[in-house]
Amino acid sequence: MAAGSDRAIRRITIVGGGIVGLSAATAFARALPGVRVELVDTAPDPGALCDRLPGTLPTANRFHAALGVDEIDLVRRGIATHRLGLRFESWSVAGKPWHFVHGETGFSLGAASFHDLWLLARQAKGALPYDSYAPAAALAKAGKFVHPESRPNTLLSTFLYGLRLDPEGYGEHLRRSAVAAGVILASGAVHAIERREDGGVAALLLADRRVEGDLYIDCAGPAAPLASAMGKGFDDWSAYLPCDRVVLTAERGSGTLSTAETVTALASGWRWSAPLREGQLAGFSFAAGTGVPSGAEGEPVAIRPGRRPEPWIRNVLALGDAACTVDPLHWTGLHLAHSAVLRALELLPGRDCHPLELREYNRRTALETDRVRDFLALHYLRSGRRAGAFWRALVDRPLPDSLAWTIEQFKARGRIPFHEEETFDKAAWAAALIGLGIVPRHVNPAAAAASATETVAALASLSEQIEALPRRLPSYAEYLVRMTSLPASSPTLV
Amino acid sequence: MADGSRRKQQVVVLGGGTAGWMAAAALVRLLPHAADVHVVESAEIGIVGVGEATLPHLRAFVQMLGLDEAEFMRATHATFKLGIDFRDFGRIGDSYLHPFGSFGTELNGVRFHHYWRRMLAAGRDDDLFAYSIANVMAARNRFAPPSADTNSLLSTYSYAYQFDATLFGPYLRTYAEARGAARTEGRVVDVELDGESGDVAALKMESGERIEGDLFVDCSGFRSLLLGRTLGAAWEDWSHWLPCDRAVALPCTPPPGPIEPYTRATAMKAGWRWRIPLQHRVGNGYVYSSAHISDEEAADAIVAAIESEAMAEPRVLRFRAGRRRQSWVRNVVGVGLASGFLEPLESTSIYLAQGAITQLIELFPTGRIAEIDRAEFNRMVDLEYDRIRDFLILHYHATTRDDSSFWNHVRTMEVPESLREKIELWRQAGRVSSYSQGLFLEPSWIAVYVGQGIIPRGWDQRADAFDAPSLAGAMDRLRSKVADAVGTMPAHADFIRRRNAAIEMDR
Repeated sequence: MAAGSDRAIRRITIVGGGIVGLSAATAFARALPGVRVELVDTAPDPGALCDRLPGTLPTANRFHAALGVDEIDLVRRGIATHRLGLRFESWSVAGKPWHFVHGETGFSLGAASFHDLWLLARQAKGALPYDSYAPAAALAKAGKFVHPESRPNTLLSTFLYGLRLDPEGYGEHLRRSAVAAGVILASGAVHAIERREDGGVAALLLADRRVEGDLYIDCAGPAAPLASAMGKGFDDWSAYLPCDRVVLTAERGSGTLSTAETVTALASGWRWSAPLREGQLAGFSFAAGTGVPSGAEGEPVAIRPGRRPEPWIRNVLALGDAACTVDPLHWTGLHLAHSAVLRALELLPGRDCHPLELREYNRRTALETDRVRDFLALHYLRSGRRAGAFWRALVDRPLPDSLAWTIEQFKARGRIPFHEEETFDKAAWAAALIGLGIVPRHVNPAAAAASATETVAALASLSEQIEALPRRLPSYAEYLVRMTSLPASSPTLV
Repeated sequence: MADGSRRKQQVVVLGGGTAGWMAAAALVRLLPHAADVHVVESAEIGIVGVGEATLPHLRAFVQMLGLDEAEFMRATHATFKLGIDFRDFGRIGDSYLHPFGSFGTELNGVRFHHYWRRMLAAGRDDDLFAYSIANVMAARNRFAPPSADTNSLLSTYSYAYQFDATLFGPYLRTYAEARGAARTEGRVVDVELDGESGDVAALKMESGERIEGDLFVDCSGFRSLLLGRTLGAAWEDWSHWLPCDRAVALPCTPPPGPIEPYTRATAMKAGWRWRIPLQHRVGNGYVYSSAHISDEEAADAIVAAIESEAMAEPRVLRFRAGRRRQSWVRNVVGVGLASGFLEPLESTSIYLAQGAITQLIELFPTGRIAEIDRAEFNRMVDLEYDRIRDFLILHYHATTRDDSSFWNHVRTMEVPESLREKIELWRQAGRVSSYSQGLFLEPSWIAVYVGQGIIPRGWDQRADAFDAPSLAGAMDRLRSKVADAVGTMPAHADFIRRRNAAIEMDR
């Protein structure tokens, strides 16, 4: 081990023994072998949704690789199942169910993206619903799953998948990974914070000892004891993300395995159900002001959607719900936490936490979280649904400017304006917009060169192939059995 | 088909220079169903046409038009360009290449330059540029096209063209006219505005002809006849940061010896000098600040600098750094110099024209021009300009030169806050402020920072994860791999000669 530069961080102290804290600790310990990483293993805050709802976007696969967490291992232990996306019910004006899946829908042609071609065919009365052209949606409808093919240009090569994780089992698994990576686990709670002259943290006082660090990471959920000592500022998103209550219900016993969670709009809020290997995670998301959905039994957890304007101040970095809270729709909470951990590693400052280094981290993080906010807000503020007090209260709400611009550009010509640090790519935005019933008025002229007749024929042939797809694939249960009988670390199976 | 039945937009392109014919060619290629294109140009008004060096993005344009690259290069006497060799910028005697390509390869998700920096601290006196394949190729005057296999080391570089810009416009004119572009030769004497909307309604020609249009693409160069003079689009001046406001160009005959696959930029007393080797000549010019040197002195300096026989009289061009705050106003879209000018230090002129054309096509009106088309276009153009501006200023500011009033000025001037922060961020630990859309991504900034002597204090701490001897071994192997790969490549001049011969054979 080389000594490293004289600016290098030598000790990192993390607070929060939930999934976010354990993930961060493992990631830092593995990437920085010379650094002492200590985790103050406090019990997770009930309001820390990232710790309680470990559904992931496809980006988690890269994060798991960095952590050395093996997907097959998770599946074999019954912790993980695969997810292709969401099935939306009663969510749009038309009310017909539709699938949002990860990855591509259809194909592109020269300057035309698939949604341009779909629109062209639709104007010629030759298009099926948009998700009919997504192979992953066909798998999800049939309750099937296979890993994407690595061979390019096949029907099964253009989709992506995430994981649905059992919070308890996943937490235990991460704890083992953390220990294996050399993380020091300290039990107990933080009683007091000792401050430096410049306002940064000098030490944490636990019941029986004092813990020092060059860098402190607050993964303790929305209360964020360390981060809130650095600054009280909060960008409140409640005008855009109306859910301020979540009820979690877990059922044991064997459910029907599915590869897309169903999210159902209700008169007051919405409900989700996510089957696991054993039992299912379910819950309700709603606004206290517009009533509690029937069936939402149990103690509601209050959440406050929004973010800290600066998640990294001096030597304190906030991650997970300590940095940003979003409701469970699309499971973006853990994605944002993962992404923040990787960015913090990429931009890890020196011990002095130079303000410009933190500013670059905060700048990029803000860009990312604000666009996730936009993506979620789209589902509430432009659902088209009017039935129910929850939805009616949203009808005249103003949109965030960046979301208004995206919708306006999309409506005008199917354009998805470019943004840096975008989580959901153009294909995902198009699928969500169209799924919610927002359809461009015009085909973009740059795409309109394609012949309508040929496009209609190409789409018809594609939907036929996709429809036939699930029949030649095994059931998900069979696939899981096959998968878990293989040696670990070989996720490409088909 | 509902959309296809709509009336085509009548597009008038004013100006038949490089930007004008690029716009016309792209429009007839991509929007034949949506646009009728009419180019208005005057033989009396010369074109600037010294923009001989380009950026790799132009390859996408050439491909989009469906041109045969070898044919196109032969017709414009083009050579390949792997980067720009900057001399005497950070310090007199310094030289580095800004390569079209990356440095080394990532290891464990950490950029190569962090390992280089760490090993520098450990006493390994090593040249970062030896890990850039484009740089090594340039130094040895070799060329071969990059590999399409993204796992290959040979995919880590790219290339652009150096060509005769006075031939590029006419080449595209043939292309555009063959695909239906109309052309009118003559002088515009008046611009007619629509009394109600204030839009440009028509151009009145000296001949008396009146040319109407729905959309006008202003490619009239520095005059900015429609965007600037007629519609009064506000000008944002950057000459306090980029004081060079003139250039004197002087091509010379090709000297004996190899043809370099790169452009050279040599810092001079009051600016810098370009040297661009083409197949049939070498383009030269001195870009200078008229506040710091007279035209005569600059002309004398370029005459003295050329290495072979001059092929023309020195020709002076005047310009000013800055841009129109909005490039699309009413029904006029400024493309090229009509919308802004940044001096040619990083060969950005043709790129900026291309970028504007790409956006115009993506945002081409679906009926009546709407404010949201204009606003989105201007937003995308904004993303480009400020960053390119900062990148150019960096070349002047990152210097220790104190040998002339020009260098004293640029070395000590107040730079934009956005650039000051970028430099300071780099100084801390070799981080480049991140963006993915636009020009000059991470490797470009690294090249100029390191090439002009700004070495970061620290590095990515993850680079400490390997022990020094194994890291040194891996770096040695990478260096030889780069050198070996370049060793098997043909000489640049031979590569061009063979391609031209193959075209001859086909005929």
